[in-house]
Amino acid sequence: MASGFRTHDQAGPVRTFFAWLVGIIYFAPVFWIVLTAFKTRADALAIPPKLVFAPTLDNFRAVFFQTSTTGEVTGSGVWLYFANSAFIAGSSVLLALIIGTLAAYAFSRYPLKGNDTYLFVILSTRMLPPIVVIIPIFLVFRLTGLSGSYIGIILLYTGFNLPFSIWMMKSFFDDLNPEVEDSARMDGSGDWSVFGRIALPQVKAGLAATSVFALILTWNEFIFALLLTGPETRTVPVAIASTIGGEIGVDWGKLSAMVSLFLIPVFIVTFALQNQLLRGVTFGTVRK
Amino acid sequence: MTLSLSNIHKRYGGLHALKGVHLDVPEGAFYALLGPSSAGKTTALRVICGLETPDEGAVTLFGQRANDAPIQGRGLAMIFQSFALYPHLNVRENLAYPLRRSGLSSGEIDKKIGRVAETLNIQHRLGNRTDQLSGGEQQRVAIGRALIREPQVLLLDEPLTNLDAKLRDAMRVEFKRLHRELGITMLYATPDQLEATTMADQIAVIDDGRIIATGTPQDLYHAPPDARVAQLVGSPPVNLVPIQDRSTAGTWLGFAQLAIPAPEGTVCAIRPHDLTVATGEADFEGAVVLTEALGDVSVVTVQVGDAQLRTVLYGADAARVRIGDQLPLKINHAMYLPAAQCAQV
Repeated sequence: MASGFRTHDQAGPVRTFFAWLVGIIYFAPVFWIVLTAFKTRADALAIPPKLVFAPTLDNFRAVFFQTSTTGEVTGSGVWLYFANSAFIAGSSVLLALIIGTLAAYAFSRYPLKGNDTYLFVILSTRMLPPIVVIIPIFLVFRLTGLSGSYIGIILLYTGFNLPFSIWMMKSFFDDLNPEVEDSARMDGSGDWSVFGRIALPQVKAGLAATSVFALILTWNEFIFALLLTGPETRTVPVAIASTIGGEIGVDWGKLSAMVSLFLIPVFIVTFALQNQLLRGVTFGTVRK
Repeated sequence: MTLSLSNIHKRYGGLHALKGVHLDVPEGAFYALLGPSSAGKTTALRVICGLETPDEGAVTLFGQRANDAPIQGRGLAMIFQSFALYPHLNVRENLAYPLRRSGLSSGEIDKKIGRVAETLNIQHRLGNRTDQLSGGEQQRVAIGRALIREPQVLLLDEPLTNLDAKLRDAMRVEFKRLHRELGITMLYATPDQLEATTMADQIAVIDDGRIIATGTPQDLYHAPPDARVAQLVGSPPVNLVPIQDRSTAGTWLGFAQLAIPAPEGTVCAIRPHDLTVATGEADFEGAVVLTEALGDVSVVTVQVGDAQLRTVLYGADAARVRIGDQLPLKINHAMYLPAAQCAQV
């Protein structure tokens, strides 16, 4: 290691200061949203903005319950949207991860003639902005009756997550030492056993990183969900969007409360996989 | 023969890695496959163990054609250059992996692991992850994992290349001991002629996808079939001198006259050990341009005309020699060898 590089010793005060500064800048919008979720309408719209205020849970109440004109309080149905989001994002990420990992291993270990061309073609499906493909997909969905169904939107998201999963997992498999797998073959393992017992356990960090990134993308996806889900399969981003507007303008408090709740699952998953994730995103940057 | 290759060809796209390899390894031999990098050593081993299928030719194991035999059924084990330990398993699990499908009870597996661990002195490391081991210990685990199935033939692909020099010396002794104690056939691929000549009882020299010579270390050192083999066997490397003038009366090297006439198409090969400081009449004088002290001996390079020659000096001569000295030298023994197509010093 060249001198002048800090290695494993603690960062100095200057570096710590800048790390905090950048962290705070990145986190500020999230913090503001969570803060707004606990504000009354007047506090939320106050100028200059208030950092100190009397917190209220009214916004969260408004998310979960609605009061009809007759004063009757009923559930708002928001649970359904959260369940939909979790089910749709969870299934499509899982599917994309299974298919993508198998495909990535095949691309890495059993390259075809024109392997790179196939990989490019697979990635090229992600080069178009969603808005460009939305009309043909909408027509296809209407024609096949997939519109508004779980299976339709899950398949679509799986298809969208696949290129990313394949490319990302392939880079992890490419970095493995192929002699380790040869060694397992010599030790009596067949192809599936080599994949499952030897290759896959070595890319756990990659699986974690890929699934978190795919999950965040899918969880936040809006435009396809807006056009291709029905009332029964609606996801949270669409529900959030529908709270914007109305006769009283944007209800910032309710919107923020909903967004805050919406962030929780992704936070939990990311924290749970944090250790694996850190290794995953730095993988390949340092040669062993 | 335990293991035979006959006219093996292997191509990877446009690369012709093996160009008709013939190899016969007798039972119980410590057989070295010596060749420079990318000569085809690894490919040859991979064809033998079944990780690659040859395009042409026959692989014969224990008297039976084995071209398409499944990898597991061949009775072979291989030690890879990178050791190829399973990084997600600890040492015990690494050693147990080859026994997974053997149908042995866990008690018997434990017993075998204990025995192998004791032979290789890694008992205290069984619970460790492989990345916590030193290079030498990783090598031992790799050996243990290869031996635990009790293979009849052990293939070794440059097993010492990734170790430091001191450890390499120790492991050479270790391999010799294992070979003697277990009595199995070993085929050992290496680019290092020292490893080949010190350990093996037979050497096959491979270059550019072909076996260019086979024989005992002594045969290949004292009577190499051509200049290329002479270059690959022996340390420090042989001096190859183009012949300036051949006549029936003798051979003129440009700086020295040899009495024995040289056949057409040959070069003159002089082992550094056969070039000594003249006590009486010298054959020629050379200016010292480089000295490499190796303790009790020094390898000295002298310049004479256009040629640079290596010689080995002993004792007082070795201690005294300085760069720029004029050394009177005598050629005690020279070989005329057919110039190989790729002879390049």
